Amino acid sequence: MKLKPKITISLQYLLLISVAIIMIFPILWIASSSLKSLIGISAYPPQLIPKEIHFSNYVDVFTRGNMLVYLKNTLILIIGNTFATLISSSIVAYPLARMNFVGKKFMFSLILVTMMVPATATIIPQYILFSKLRWLNSFLPLIVPACFAFPYNVFLFRQFYRTIPISIDEAALIDGCNRWDIFIKIIVPMSRPVFVIIGLLSSVFWWNELFLPLIYIDSDRLKPLMVGALTTFKTLFIQRWDLQMAMSMLMILPPIILYLFTQKYMAEGIKTTGMKG
Amino acid sequence: MEQDGLLINKNKRKVRENITAYAFLSPWIIGFILFSGGPIIASFLLSLSKWNMISAPRFIWLGNFIEMFSAGSNFWNILKVTLIFTIFSVIATLTWSFFLAMLLNFKLKGIGIFRFFFFAPAVMPTVALAFAFQLLYNKEIGVINYILYMFGISDGPNWLMDNRLVIPSIIFVCLYTYTTGQMMLIFDASLKEVPKELYEACSIDGASYFQKFYYITLPYISPVILFNLVIATINAFNGSFSIIYPLTFGGPGDASRVISLAIYDSGFKTFRMGYASALATVLFIIVASVAWLQFKLSNKFVYYEN
Repeated sequence: MKLKPKITISLQYLLLISVAIIMIFPILWIASSSLKSLIGISAYPPQLIPKEIHFSNYVDVFTRGNMLVYLKNTLILIIGNTFATLISSSIVAYPLARMNFVGKKFMFSLILVTMMVPATATIIPQYILFSKLRWLNSFLPLIVPACFAFPYNVFLFRQFYRTIPISIDEAALIDGCNRWDIFIKIIVPMSRPVFVIIGLLSSVFWWNELFLPLIYIDSDRLKPLMVGALTTFKTLFIQRWDLQMAMSMLMILPPIILYLFTQKYMAEGIKTTGMKG
Repeated sequence: MEQDGLLINKNKRKVRENITAYAFLSPWIIGFILFSGGPIIASFLLSLSKWNMISAPRFIWLGNFIEMFSAGSNFWNILKVTLIFTIFSVIATLTWSFFLAMLLNFKLKGIGIFRFFFFAPAVMPTVALAFAFQLLYNKEIGVINYILYMFGISDGPNWLMDNRLVIPSIIFVCLYTYTTGQMMLIFDASLKEVPKELYEACSIDGASYFQKFYYITLPYISPVILFNLVIATINAFNGSFSIIYPLTFGGPGDASRVISLAIYDSGFKTFRMGYASALATVLFIIVASVAWLQFKLSNKFVYYEN
């Protein structure tokens, strides 16, 4: 291979760095504004590095809003949904990857098709169903559906199960194991990486989720962070940019730190949905 | 006799295998009936009714659709905004994610750091992204207008409050969302799978960078482009709510009110369940026909290896 000229390398780095700045600029700006006073935020010209550092914004976020309550609710949603979807989706994916049965192709296509149905297209009947069950304004409509497997996660599990040699199941069947034993004792232990991947993706998803809790949760003490954040520090007349940015910083740090340390796993999961089925 | 016994045994085993398989599938089947298949049918039925969830629902045939399609209804504006937003956000996010992936395929040291930076905004909550852009787009104190000022444009626009600028402004924010990051990672992986020999053979024949791109890269990854096109389109219908709602709430006026926001408003602000279901039915039909169209197109234009 011939060596690239230095000028090409420099230009390529320059392009990469400029694009990287564009991509992380919103994050940088949140970080910088979260340390400014309200006056600092409206200072002209805008300062990337604040002249005066106001850590007090972070104290105010915790003492003046319901931050801790919102945080607790978000954690309940993350834990509930992640456990429920890991159990249900891993079970549902098993026959799709490792068994032959009548209607397999049909069931699998149906799962793929439901991945494409927008949540807003089915939300009205779901809302009516949950209101009949008297589940509105509770975590139930947000967590119970996860017990019935999410198509996206089923697909990820299936893709992973298919990489395990099928002869393992066959040998175990001959030894007298039933399908459930094979699933619990062989497939689940061998699939630890995909459990981690889906656990991570589900946690980030439920940390960020806005639409469903916005619809099902009314009272402030049950709101998760994203729904609570919409109305905290912002009234009809005044927007407390300083506090809002400090809160935003606290909202973006957990998923970004999680991504930083588990980049390989998460990228693998996100990409898998794009690879050939 | 013995053979018959074996055959019966074999059939028995087959039946048992089928029952087992469906037992494993049962959580999803129940979930499908309760949370997707059932609601889609229920939505069709509800769209033929008038119901505010307090008094009993009333059957009004196509009343909701007649109201929707009448001249004075804001449905036509919603449809227009939805289509414009969908088409241009798909083009923008698809192009940008492809561009990012091309950059990540430079043969340079430290490319992993750039992959992290390019993807980082994708994991941040859309609510925080919306807050950041409300500040960046602000007419008086926003950085974007300050940059315009440095280039000599002193009276920068009020990006999110301007009827004509609000949709392009939202589409720009879409370049930072999860879908764009996801498509970037998928493109990045698929670009690495293009066989090196093809490029080398072309170089020997004296092909330029753009010829290589056009004759090798594009045809080779065309199935992935189609796949990402589907992801981007579905997400423009599905995920648009979580970015547009915190950013503009559909405003100014109705200028950024896409159909998912309209469903939310009629369903959960004014509790017109029938009308909201009629809108949901329209959305479902649009998504279904777009998906069908894209798969039809795929047979025509996409190059598959096998």
